[in-house]
Amino acid sequence: MAEEPKKIKRPRGTARLIPGKCIACGARCQAECKFDAIIMNEKGEPIIDLEKCTRCQRCLKICPADAIEIYYTPEEQKILDELAKQKAAKPTPEPEAEKEDPRLAKLKEYKGVWVFTEHTEGKPAEVSWELLGVGADLAKARNVELCSIVIGEKVEHLCAEAFAYGASKAYLVDDPVFHYYRTESYYKAFCYLIEKYKPEIVLVGATGLGRDLAGAVATNLQTGLTADCTGLSIDDKGFLLQTRPAFGGNIMATILTEFTRPQMSTVRPHVMPLPTKDNSSKGAIIREKVPLKEEDIAAKVLEIIGDEKLDSVNVAAADIIISGGRGMCNAENYKILQELADELGGVVACSRAAVEAGWMPLERQVGQTGKTVRPKIYFAVGISGAIQHLVGMQDSDTIIAINRDKQAPIFEVATFGIVGDLFQVIPAITAYVRERRKQKAGKAG
Amino acid sequence: MSATVIAFIIVLVLALAFFAYSCYRRFGLVLKGKPDNRFNSIGKRFWNMLFYAFGQRRVVKKPFGVNHFVLFWAFMILLISNTEFLLNGLAPDTISFSLLPDGAYFTLAFIFDIMSVLALIAVILAIIRRFTFPPPYVEAKSRDAFVILGLVAGLMIAFFGMNACEIAAGADRAGVWMPVANWVASWLPSGAAGLGTAARVFWWIHAVILLAFLDYLPYSKHMHIMTSIPNCFFKSLEKVKTQPREEFKKGNTFGVGEVESFTWKGLFDSYSCTECGRCSDACPATFTGKSLQPRLVIHDIKVNLLKNADKDGHKELPLIGGEGEGSVKEEVIWECTTCGACMEVCPVFIEHVPRIVDMRRHLVETKARFPEELLLLFENMEQRSNPWGIAPAERTKWAADIDVQPFEAGKTEYLFYVGCAGALDARNRHTTLSLAKIFDKAGISWGTLGRDEMCCGDSLRRLGNEYVFDRMAQANIKMFAEKGVKKIITQCPHCFSTLKNDYRQYGAELEVVHHTELINQLIKEGRLKLKSTPPDLGKVVYHDSCYLGRYNGIYDAPRRVITSATGSAPLEMERNRDNGFCCGAGGGRMWMEEKEGSLINVARVEEALKKQPDTVCVACPYCMTMFDDGLKDKEASDKVRVLDLAEIVANALPD
Amino acid sequence: MLIVACVKQVPDTTQVKVDPETGTLIREGVPFIMNPYDTHALEESLRLKDKYGFRVAVISMGPPSAEVTLRKTLALGADEAILLSDRVFGGADTLATSMVLTGAIKKLAEKEELAIVMCGRQTIDGDTAQVGPGIATRLGCSQLTLVDRVEEVDLKSKTLKVRRKLEGRHEVVSAPLPAMIAVLREINTPRYPSVPMRLEAEDSSIILWDNKVMQMDEATIGLKGSATQVRKIFSPERAKGEILGGEIDKPEDSARLLITRMVEKDLLSL
Ligand SMILES: Cc1cc2nc3c(=O)[nH]c(=O)nc-3n(C[C@H](O)[C@H](O)[C@H](O)COP(=O)(O)OP(=O)(O)OC[C@H]3O[C@@H](n4cnc5c(N)ncnc54)[C@H](O)[C@@H]3O)c2cc1C
Ligand SMILES: Cc1cc2nc3c(=O)[nH]c(=O)nc-3n(C[C@H](O)[C@H](O)[C@H](O)COP(=O)(O)OP(=O)(O)OC[C@H]3O[C@@H](n4cnc5c(N)ncnc54)[C@H](O)[C@@H]3O)c2cc1C
Ligand code: SF4
Ligand code: SF4
Ligand code: SF4
Ligand code: SF4
Repeated sequence: MAEEPKKIKRPRGTARLIPGKCIACGARCQAECKFDAIIMNEKGEPIIDLEKCTRCQRCLKICPADAIEIYYTPEEQKILDELAKQKAAKPTPEPEAEKEDPRLAKLKEYKGVWVFTEHTEGKPAEVSWELLGVGADLAKARNVELCSIVIGEKVEHLCAEAFAYGASKAYLVDDPVFHYYRTESYYKAFCYLIEKYKPEIVLVGATGLGRDLAGAVATNLQTGLTADCTGLSIDDKGFLLQTRPAFGGNIMATILTEFTRPQMSTVRPHVMPLPTKDNSSKGAIIREKVPLKEEDIAAKVLEIIGDEKLDSVNVAAADIIISGGRGMCNAENYKILQELADELGGVVACSRAAVEAGWMPLERQVGQTGKTVRPKIYFAVGISGAIQHLVGMQDSDTIIAINRDKQAPIFEVATFGIVGDLFQVIPAITAYVRERRKQKAGKAG
Repeated sequence: MSATVIAFIIVLVLALAFFAYSCYRRFGLVLKGKPDNRFNSIGKRFWNMLFYAFGQRRVVKKPFGVNHFVLFWAFMILLISNTEFLLNGLAPDTISFSLLPDGAYFTLAFIFDIMSVLALIAVILAIIRRFTFPPPYVEAKSRDAFVILGLVAGLMIAFFGMNACEIAAGADRAGVWMPVANWVASWLPSGAAGLGTAARVFWWIHAVILLAFLDYLPYSKHMHIMTSIPNCFFKSLEKVKTQPREEFKKGNTFGVGEVESFTWKGLFDSYSCTECGRCSDACPATFTGKSLQPRLVIHDIKVNLLKNADKDGHKELPLIGGEGEGSVKEEVIWECTTCGACMEVCPVFIEHVPRIVDMRRHLVETKARFPEELLLLFENMEQRSNPWGIAPAERTKWAADIDVQPFEAGKTEYLFYVGCAGALDARNRHTTLSLAKIFDKAGISWGTLGRDEMCCGDSLRRLGNEYVFDRMAQANIKMFAEKGVKKIITQCPHCFSTLKNDYRQYGAELEVVHHTELINQLIKEGRLKLKSTPPDLGKVVYHDSCYLGRYNGIYDAPRRVITSATGSAPLEMERNRDNGFCCGAGGGRMWMEEKEGSLINVARVEEALKKQPDTVCVACPYCMTMFDDGLKDKEASDKVRVLDLAEIVANALPD
Repeated sequence: MLIVACVKQVPDTTQVKVDPETGTLIREGVPFIMNPYDTHALEESLRLKDKYGFRVAVISMGPPSAEVTLRKTLALGADEAILLSDRVFGGADTLATSMVLTGAIKKLAEKEELAIVMCGRQTIDGDTAQVGPGIATRLGCSQLTLVDRVEEVDLKSKTLKVRRKLEGRHEVVSAPLPAMIAVLREINTPRYPSVPMRLEAEDSSIILWDNKVMQMDEATIGLKGSATQVRKIFSPERAKGEILGGEIDKPEDSARLLITRMVEKDLLSL
């Protein structure tokens, strides 16, 4: 050491926020800083107190948005470069072998990928089969089994279907107590199975039911749950990488459940491709009895009301809206919209022009003085896109505009636009949807 | 003292006592109202009283107003005669015009005679009118109306009867100077016995009718005979362009939910209403078959005041939302576009709009109750400072393809206050771009606030959401002060009027100009040159925006600009200028459904279409939407286009 | 009896834009608002208060600046507003969030019998819809999500009846109190604050509970108590507007293209 020319002090740099990158994730950086060096401003961004900051870089690592950096002034950078040069001259010590976190050890006993089979009184939800597709990939990557969880009354047939879609095993809980979905009975059964068999990954469809169930299960098991995922994969350490949109779809986040098991996700329907069905595939059914009696379940389903029986159509609550404007020309023509709506499971709405003309009732009007809607899909058919209309529907996830005037302002907000005569385009869409449905039924059956 | 005199004294004292009591009761109620200083600038007020009350300036604007003018003046003059009449009754020998020298006495006698006959004719005409073409409201044929007309007629007849008998009896030396009475006398047997008695009988009839009239007056719609003159004295010194501020302190009441929360002037207004119905005739809501009739609003305020008078504390009849006469329905309060047409025509300067806004304030601020569509508007305004709730970052989108300077005091002269519609509505962005082009051509130094611009709050104020308006106004004024803004150009008449008139209440000294005025001035000064052969827009008809025209008196500038830009003067709709008809969007109506009657914008479009125009020229973004929509409704949008004045001018700029 | 309404302050994500060049989130000037779903949860609480005489306490976990949102709840008619704020609460996932919220609810329930915990279906920033079920599970009470109507509350038998909106149908469920209800936006139209209430709220104080008050085990809350870790954030591929077909005279082609693109984009499954 004595022969070193000059002892250069390693510059510390400054921890600082990169403007515009923080997404106000909820003060992760502040929570991580052991030195109380961070306070949050009213925009939810960190302010770093350089007096207290030790440049430990913990906040850098935790920040999901890579919004914090250590900054060196040009002089400091020069010294650093100098140091790097000196260091390069010396032999580099062997990199430390990465130590495994002791917390991970006890998670090893968890094995297998599980998919929850969602159904309504025995009628399966397609997302369950979609999840078997991605589940198979995950199971392969982890080299484990893919299992289906079937809970209900008289639902054994679902096991066979699960095998056809790729599961190799099905855990079946069949009892009258599970006739209707109720959170309490289902989550207890589900937790019972998980605690008994210890799967490492549990996938549930991100439907209303699925999110209700998964939230209860994960809390009960004190494990992580990632909501509404659109991408799943396994990283090199064997963790499940879960990708999901947040902030109203403005950002994507990759989320990990590192230290608890199972790793649970709810997965958005329609996103994962449906695996091809192979009716010859077979698997093992494991029957389980869960100690639950009807008397123990306090919630009772008193009545089921089919949507068709509802007294009024609530456009504000619909997921798919087919909206027609003045271009529809008369009340009679709304029939073609209704046909498409029936095909897609949506409802028909309209612009004010249609209400004024007396073609549609005021309850169906979308816009500033009508309903504000945020469906997943909004069809604007023969609607020009006046601002008074736009504000009522522009937060829709996907907007499809059909208009013969290509200058119409509606195209400015549209995800997809078709320039054409609605009286030709709409029936063509309906026909094509029917055609594909038929093809698919043919393939599956 | 003769028995007659004693009898008369008793009658007179009783009648006057009753009259005084009635006045005390009625006007005592007015004093329950909130304070409002209407005693400043006395000189100006006297002038207003002379000009508008005695001059009957507004009354005569309508064809039948002349009749009222005659009646009014006859009444004024006969007031002198009748005062003499009553005094004479008290002291027959000491007080009488007949004691005056001949010249004076004969002149007076002549005048009174002529005035009486004019009054009689006017009354008869009024009665005939009520049977042939009655004014468009039912109360015109009410008992009250006929009682009053009958009393006036009776009074005149008794007057002639009395004078004629005296002339015939040779007891009046001014006989020949009273042509009418003289003519009646010629039918009487001159010098016959009993003429003296007949004269006494007419005298008593005259006296009784006169006193009955006096006593009946405070209970009749003709109370306006007593109140309208002072109401012209107390009239707002400026045109009513805004509403007063409210103070937001705990314990205050907000808006007017019961009648006594109006200012005393508001209550006095209701006493002054002549029930002429002119306001309702001008009202776009009434015209399109809605429940709102400004005349009835004023009438209901009066009835409510009177009906609730005795029941102190407990008000049986609610001012808002009760049944029948004396209560204003909630829908009615929301139907007003604040177009100001009612206030423009009211002969006695009743201030309808502030009253309506007062009641809106009560509903919004105290009751938090309003048409459901407004919830969205209120939330959008408060959270995003624009009516549509569009992200503020979009405010600069209109200028995506052009270079716009930020406003900087010293560097830029004018702030171009684009306004929400100008910045956010795709259609109105064209107007904004046209203006930018015009300013640059004319070499004006201008800048904008970009995404920092906030809504001026017009709709909120007219809708009675004064609390949020107050906050927005203060925030805007603070920003203007910080940025050193002194001169502002607006493209929207609502921004214009709000920044100019409403913000003045906050002490903001801003020079605000609307683009119509500015362009007119630029053309006049030769700073803006237009093509000598402008693009052909066909026949252009101009629509007056209420907040430009009626509220701020800008009528000529846009018309001159059209003339310069198209080569010919615009066509005029039937109702134009101060008599113009609202497009239906003002007063926050832009954000509400029109649930009752037909659509106002369609009515206005129909009126425009009568002129078979090729282009409708507007100068307001809301009018733009209203005409666009209305033309589409009438399936006329292929033939007729709507352009803002700025677009017309931009089209006429040389390349 | 008590209703606890859970309200979160969130950035108004509908105003958030993504910079097309850098792909970063533009949050500049985006205000914080009351989570829109929670405005409906609060409204439903207030309606039940008006109908049955409950007391409504609002709790919110968040930074000190969330006070603004809590003040708004007072202006709307909440009886009490409690801000749960401490740096050790920061960085929480839903597991840790429901831990702190449940802690606060239990603390409130010590003094007054708990009837209902009212949540929004989900937030517009985290978007998980997991906190409500988390609270219900931790409290061990009835869990009623996706509620679009509260039919009735029977105070005698301590049960309630709600309508839940499921895919393609609704169901009417009865459950005992206490219950956690997570509401949909269509359940009601929120009220507007009156000016006297606003002025009242301006002067009233928001109760602050930090962890000195809450006394929660730091290993179960905040970043430490979170089971999920947000690793990375990136911006999604933005579907820019796209005109399909473009050929006015070939509607069939355009229609096919549209459906194909929608299936590709996972909007439809056909
Ligand atoms: C106070 C007020 C409140 C309002 N509130 C609302 C509201 O809440 N909601 C609302 O929607 N509007 C509202 N409006 C009206 C709004 O300003 C527009 O007038 C309205 O939205 C226009 O409706 P539209 O697009 O159906 O009709 P148009 O603007 O007439 O557009 C019709 C479109 O159809 C197209 N078309 C015609 N035939 C065909 C065909 N065969 N094939 C394909 N395309 C065709 C045309 O190219 C045109 O673009 C309000 C207006 C006012 C004044
Ligand atoms: C990009 C990103 C992705 C994330 N993804 C996940 C994830 O997949 N899994 C996960 O567990 N966490 C996740 N989190 C963390 C999660 O957002 C926070 O835990 C948050 O505090 C609560 O979740 P939420 O906003 O989704 O609430 P939700 O569960 O959607 O909220 C439902 C209801 O709970 C109530 N509520 C929620 N938060 C509060 C609060 N702070 N105060 C009072 N009431 C409240 C409200 O009534 C609300 O309507 C993520 C965070 C970020 C930044
Ligand atoms: S570098 Fe370390 S000490 Fe500094 S702010 Fe970040 S976490 Fe805190
Ligand atoms: S961790 Fe990153 S994203 Fe989260 S608040 Fe801190 S700087 Fe912002
Ligand atoms: S302001 Fe216009 S709409 Fe309102 S009452 Fe007067 S005339 Fe009618
Ligand atoms: S308010 Fe004025 S215009 Fe209307 S009826 Fe009365 S006097 Fe006439």
